[in-house]
Order: sequence, then structure tokens, then C-alpha cells
Amino acid sequence: MTRYIEIAQSEFVHLVRSPFKTISLILFGAAVIYGCQNGYDLFKTHSNEIISIQANNDKSIANMILQYEEIEQGILDKPRRDPTIPYWAIWNTPSHAFKYPSPMIVFSLGQSEQYGYYKRVTNWSTIFDSDLAEEIANPERMAIGTLDLNFVLIYLTPILITILLFNIGGLEKDLRFDNLIYLNNISKERWLLARFSFYYLLTVILLFMLITPYALFSGILQSASLEFFHLLFIISLYLLIWFTAFFFINVSGNGSSDHALKMISVWLVFCIIIPGAIHQISSLKYPTNYMTDYLDVSRDQSNKIFELPSETLREELLKAFPSLQTTLYATDTSMNKAIINRSLSGLVNMLNKDVARTIEWSSEKKNKFIKSFSRLNPVIYFQNEINALTDTDYYAYKRYRSDIQEMIDIKINLILEDTWNKVTVDKEKYIQYVESFKKL
Amino acid sequence: MINIILNEWKMLVRNRVFIYLTIFFVLSLSLVVWMGINQNSAQQEYRNKAQRHVRTQWDNLEAMNPHRAAHYGSYAFKPNNLLNSMDGGINDITGNVIQLEGHVQNEIVYSEASQSLSISKFGKLKSSLLLQYVIPLFLIFLAYGSISNEKETQRLKLLIFQGIPMTRLVFAKSLSIWIYGLSLLLATVIIQSMLISSDPEVFRRLTLLVFSYGSYYYIITSLATYFSARLKNNTSALSAILATWILWTIFLPKIWGNAVEKIHPLPSRMAFKAAMKEERSKGIDGHNPSDKRREKLKNKYLTEYKVDSLQQLPINFDGIVMQEDEDYGNLVWDKHFGSNYTILQKQKGLYQVSGLLNPFASLQSASMGFCGTDMIHHLDFLKKAEDYRRVLIKALNDKHAYGGSKTGDWGWTVDSTFFRSVQGFSYKSPKINDQINHYLIDILFLLWWGLLVTFMIKLNTNKKIIL
Repeated sequence: MTRYIEIAQSEFVHLVRSPFKTISLILFGAAVIYGCQNGYDLFKTHSNEIISIQANNDKSIANMILQYEEIEQGILDKPRRDPTIPYWAIWNTPSHAFKYPSPMIVFSLGQSEQYGYYKRVTNWSTIFDSDLAEEIANPERMAIGTLDLNFVLIYLTPILITILLFNIGGLEKDLRFDNLIYLNNISKERWLLARFSFYYLLTVILLFMLITPYALFSGILQSASLEFFHLLFIISLYLLIWFTAFFFINVSGNGSSDHALKMISVWLVFCIIIPGAIHQISSLKYPTNYMTDYLDVSRDQSNKIFELPSETLREELLKAFPSLQTTLYATDTSMNKAIINRSLSGLVNMLNKDVARTIEWSSEKKNKFIKSFSRLNPVIYFQNEINALTDTDYYAYKRYRSDIQEMIDIKINLILEDTWNKVTVDKEKYIQYVESFKKL
Repeated sequence: MINIILNEWKMLVRNRVFIYLTIFFVLSLSLVVWMGINQNSAQQEYRNKAQRHVRTQWDNLEAMNPHRAAHYGSYAFKPNNLLNSMDGGINDITGNVIQLEGHVQNEIVYSEASQSLSISKFGKLKSSLLLQYVIPLFLIFLAYGSISNEKETQRLKLLIFQGIPMTRLVFAKSLSIWIYGLSLLLATVIIQSMLISSDPEVFRRLTLLVFSYGSYYYIITSLATYFSARLKNNTSALSAILATWILWTIFLPKIWGNAVEKIHPLPSRMAFKAAMKEERSKGIDGHNPSDKRREKLKNKYLTEYKVDSLQQLPINFDGIVMQEDEDYGNLVWDKHFGSNYTILQKQKGLYQVSGLLNPFASLQSASMGFCGTDMIHHLDFLKKAEDYRRVLIKALNDKHAYGGSKTGDWGWTVDSTFFRSVQGFSYKSPKINDQINHYLIDILFLLWWGLLVTFMIKLNTNKKIIL
């Protein structure tokens, strides 16, 4: 043990005397802070934007309540879109579905820049509407990517390790006194292992020290401590894999330059070439979906519904929503076209849900294909694992789409139930609507 | 000089590893080019199928009111440029489908990146990935020891005593490796040209690509050779050039890319939409009969046609209102989207300025631009799609207004003959000659770097300094 401590001490001296390594470590530290700060900024932007939308919604709701009061007092005439009709009352209940950012987003922006995180939901909404597009951003900047902690960890840390380790054991080989070392009653492997352990601990401790303050500032330790400790475990494991690979390079290498060439080549293969190849192959196998099935539903098939006679539509609605059988209008034999027209979004929503399932299923097939390469290349696996932990991966946004769909369903059910029961909406009823969407 | 280059090549060719690596590179590049072209063609076919599908639906529309057809609308699918197979640029992360309809200007949606888990942070394995990352690194590996090896083995002194000027030796060593990089680049371009159409536009773009990549390879090999000459040993030379490469390709593009967005910030989607909505509300609301501005327009037409009521008008006033609404909406769109486009172009310009410190930024920008997959080309597509939307909606509104129906006659319909007469959306990528001004700065900075490293070698590699 004493010997290992001695080796660590001399390694520390070696590190301090190497300006190239010291500067690299400082730059790396700066990159970690910069990456976390980027994540923290995005976390704040998303949170503030959501708060601002909620405030606007609250203002609209207050205005609507005032409008009800004025209508009830006879001060105001009913507008063209009569708010006492359930359809228009629900239409005028501002409800947004939000993808609340996890505080863990500080550590990985993941795919968050690819998707929208708020959406105004109406009974005509779908989970593929164009208002779910990502925030307005420079596409070239997005293609280059943002420097977040995930990128620093997955792509830059192996480069830092290369800089720290390429002459460990290599310098001695370059100056041809490596055999002198092994005369000191230590094997080559143990000697290298001791030196590698020093750098492993140094890198891990540096990362932990730099990211922990961000975990404190953004409230991660209070609300997502499990995820945070899981992230620390992933960081340790990921670094261990790279240190192990580089250990074998140094054990069998012929000198500093040879080590550096091999290390940077391994990085190139695992971080650029293999992910690029998987990306290309998956695009060949699963081309970009132009969503024509969805477009067909939103135009042609919806149009066909609108053209059906009211009697047929009434039957279709009763079939699709059996709970309507017990409503006032269901027991009424007269035809009320307005009620039928206000119920049509229910039928269109069913078509949208069917096509959404097909689209999600085809995306899932592509994801399975991508995941099947995890064994070949752990880089993509770790990248997506961190994105999952920070709630910024594809599945986090898939869950968000499910939440939107749930909100659409609730809106439609309320419209159908209250329209078919010929409910007149007053202030109290409107507040009930507001509350039912707030629960989501 | 030529003798030294030939001698360097002889030494390279004698090295079996070099030969195997060259064969590996040529095969990889061929495979990657072939895969890129295949993927591009498959995607393009898929896109054409989608566009045809939408057009067939339009052609076969049953008789309907023109305004209903405006709500039915159409879709524009973003086509892939031929050279997308070489450099995908921003195509993976931008949307591919834009809905074109009355009253609203939609955003382009359904990007490839949003349809699956995240894969590569450096893009697909297309030839640009190899040409931008792998080949320069290989050139670095070849060049970093070119002079320092000679120094370490004391051969350099022998060469100098034979009367070879030091500067010429450094240049010759650098050029011999640069020629190798250039050969790989030309092999890629030749394979690419053989597998795709012989369109002169593609040829022009490929020529510019060869110039850009060729300049970058010159910069990287010259700099690596310079470090090799100036620094004390192989390890120092390799460390210095690798550090530069990492800084150029990994650090600076991301950091500067983020910085330009902060210097010229874009509005948030919510602020942007609110501003658009606010401004739009000042125009005519096509569907609201109680709108005051509508009343004004009504009076204008009644006076013009010298009639007392809308029913007496020989035209359909509803169509006029719809087009008025569109014209106003177009002004609002031009103002707000125009402002966004200006910001985006300012951001691009500022990013390109980083070429002064980072030639890789210039290469990346030029590569995307010459392959027709950068933001400039993307914005051009969006602009053309919007232009088409305006033509389409105006045709429908004009038919509604002047096609023979009367005001309020929403049951009036036109049949598919009319719909078929409206031309479909077709898009051609702009010619590079018309867009070259956007990339002059990239070319300029690549040239500047080429000159800089040439002067660095010329001024700082004489034998007094090196030996």
C-alpha cells in the first residue's frame, strides 16, 4: 500500500510538472462548468417559459370568469362563440400540456432541442401537430450540437484521458529506461495500474467536484437524488471502461507516440465512426418518416367524416362512445346538427390515435435496431442512458405525447358528455372545467 | 523540391502498413460514398412518393368550395440535394414536411432526429465525416514525425549538409503528405461523380468542395510539419498538433456556436407567436363578420361596383375578404419571419468569422454550403414553400371571389378540373453561382490560413532555428 501511495505521490509531481497536462485539466474543468451552465440555463429558460404560459392562462381564465359574470348579470351579450355552450366553454379553457424539465437536464440537454415542451391542447389537437415543433433555433448550431456535460463526459473525457495517459509508461519506453523500473520489485502491469488508478481517481473526483454544486443549485439533491447518484455511478463506470481499454494499449505499446496514436484511433472509431455508421445504416433501413399516414387522417379521412350524414354520424358516435347512450340527446329522437357537429372531434381523435400508434410503433422498431448495437459500442448506450436519466431522451418525449393525448381525450369526453346532456355552462361549470385540466 | 517529394513517396510506399491503410481508406471511402448515395436515393424516392401522393389527393378532390380547399391545403416535402449523400449538413435535425394552407403559415416539422433515440453527435457516416475528421487525423499521424524523426535520428543534419535548404525540406515533406490527402479526396469526388448524375451544377459544387478540403488538408499537414520541425521531439509535436486539432474540431465549433446564439438571440417561440398574433389581429379577420375593417372593405367594394348591398355585387365578397386577410398575414409573416431570417444570417456570419481562428469552422460551413445542405439552402426552401402557399391560396381566393358565386354562397363549389389547373409544388435547389457570396468568407479564411502556415514555415524553419 505504501508503495502505491508513493507512486501516486510521484505521479502527482509528474502531473504538476507537465504544463500540457495541467492546461488540459483546467480546460476540461472549464468545459464541464460551461456544459453544466448551458444545461442550467436551459432548465431556467424552460421553467420560466412554462411559468409565463401558466400566468397567461390564468389571466385568460380570469377574463373568462368575468365574461360569465357579465353575461349572467345581463351586462354583456353572448359573443359569436357562445361560452354557455360546452363546446365553446371548453374551447375557451386555456389548457397547455407541459413537458416540465427535470432538474437533471443541467447534466444533459439530450434530445430536448429536438422537441417542443409546451402545447396548447384543444379537442382538435393531435400529438403530431406542427406547434409541437422545437424552439426557434439556429439549425446549424443544432447540427454542431451544444456543449453539455453529457458531451463533455462521453466525447471529451476520453480525449482528456488520452492526454493524461499517453506517456504513462511511454516516456520510460521513449527514453529506454523502462526495464530499470521493473528491477524495483514491481511488475509492469502493477506499476501501470497504480499510475492509472491515480488518474482515474483524479478524473472521477474532478468531475464529481464540479458537478455537485450544480446538483445543489438546481435542487437535484432534493428532487432527483436517486438519479443523481445513478449518474455518478454511470460516470465512474464509463471512465473505467476507457481506462481499462487504454491500460491494455499502454501495457502492449511501444512508446508515447504509439500510445497516443492508438488511443486517439480508438476514440475515433468508438465516438465517431461506429456511431456514424449505425446512424447511416439505421437511416437506410428506416428512412425518415414523412408521416403521410398521419397527414391522410388529418385531411382526407377527417374530411370524409365531415361529409357523412348526421344520422350516420350520430350512430358512429354512439358506437364509439357507449357512455353517450344514457345522455339526454341519445334518448331524444329529433336530429340536432349542432350537437353532432360539436362532437365530430371525438371521431377524428379516434382516427388520430390509431395512426399515432402505428407511427410510434415504427419509431420503436428503429429504436430497437439502434439499441441492438449497444454491445458493439457502449458510447451510444451510455449517451442514451444519461439522456434517459435526465428525462431528455426519445422516451421522455414519447411520455409527453401520451400526456398530451390524455388531455385531448379528457377534453373530448367532457365536450361529448356535456353537449349530449345539453348542459348550459355558467361560471361554476367553467371553473369545474378549469380544475379538471389543472389536475393533469 | 520534386526530388524530395518523390523520395518521401518512395519511403511511404515501402511501408506496408501505409499501403494497407491506403487500401482500407479507398475501400471505406468507396463504401461510404455508395452507402450515402443509396440512402439519399431511397430517401428521395420516399419523398417523391409522398409528394406524388399528396398531389394525387389534390387532383382528385371532389367538388368543394375554394375556401374549404384552402383549409384542406397541401404539403411541401423537403427534397434532398444530390450532394446530401456527401454531407448531410443540417438535414437530419430540420423538419421535412410543411403544411401549406389558408390563414396560417405553418412550421416545418418531422425531423429525422425527432423520430428515434439519439445516435451520433457527429452525423452519419458520409464521406464528409471521413474527410473532415478521419483523413485529417491520418494526415497528422503521417506528418507529426516527418521532421522530428529526422532530428531524433540525426539524419536532418546530413540532409542539411547536402545543401537542401531547411525551408524547402519542410515544404517538400508537408506537400508530399498533402498530395496523399488530396489523392484520397479526389478518389472520393471521382467515385461520387461516377455514381451520380453528370449535372454541371454538381460538378461546380464538387470543384468548390475539392478546393475547400484541399486547402484544409494543406493547412493541417503544413501545421503538423511545422510543429514537427519546431518542437524538440515527436511527442511534443504530436501533442501540439493533436491539441490544435481537438481545439479546432471539438471545442471551438460548439463554444462559438453557442456564443453566436447569445450575441444575436432569436425570440422564444412563445414571444414570436404572441407578436405575430398581436400584429395579425390588427388586420382583417376573414371569418369574423363583425370585424370593423371588414366593414370598411365592404363599403369600398360597394362604392366601386355602385351597389347597395353585398348580395348585389357581381362577385363574391367573401373571397375578397379572405385574400385581404391573406395579404395582411403575408406582410406580418414577411416582417417577423424576415426578422428571424436576418438574425439567423447574422448568426451564421458571426460563426463564419470564427474561421479567422479556426479553419475547421470554415471547412464545415463551406462543405455544408457547397453540398446544398446548410441553413442558407434550408431557408431558401422555406421561402419557396411560402411563395407557393401564397400562389395556391390566392388562386383559390380569386376563384372564390371571381369564379361566379355570390357573397355568402358557401355551398358553391368548383370541381377537380380547377384544382388540377393549379400547379403543384416543385423545388429546385439554388445554383451555387447565385449563393457563392454566402461562402466567400469561408474560402477567404481557408486561403488566409494557407498563407499563414506558409509564412510560418518560411520565416520560422531555417536551419539556425531548427538545428
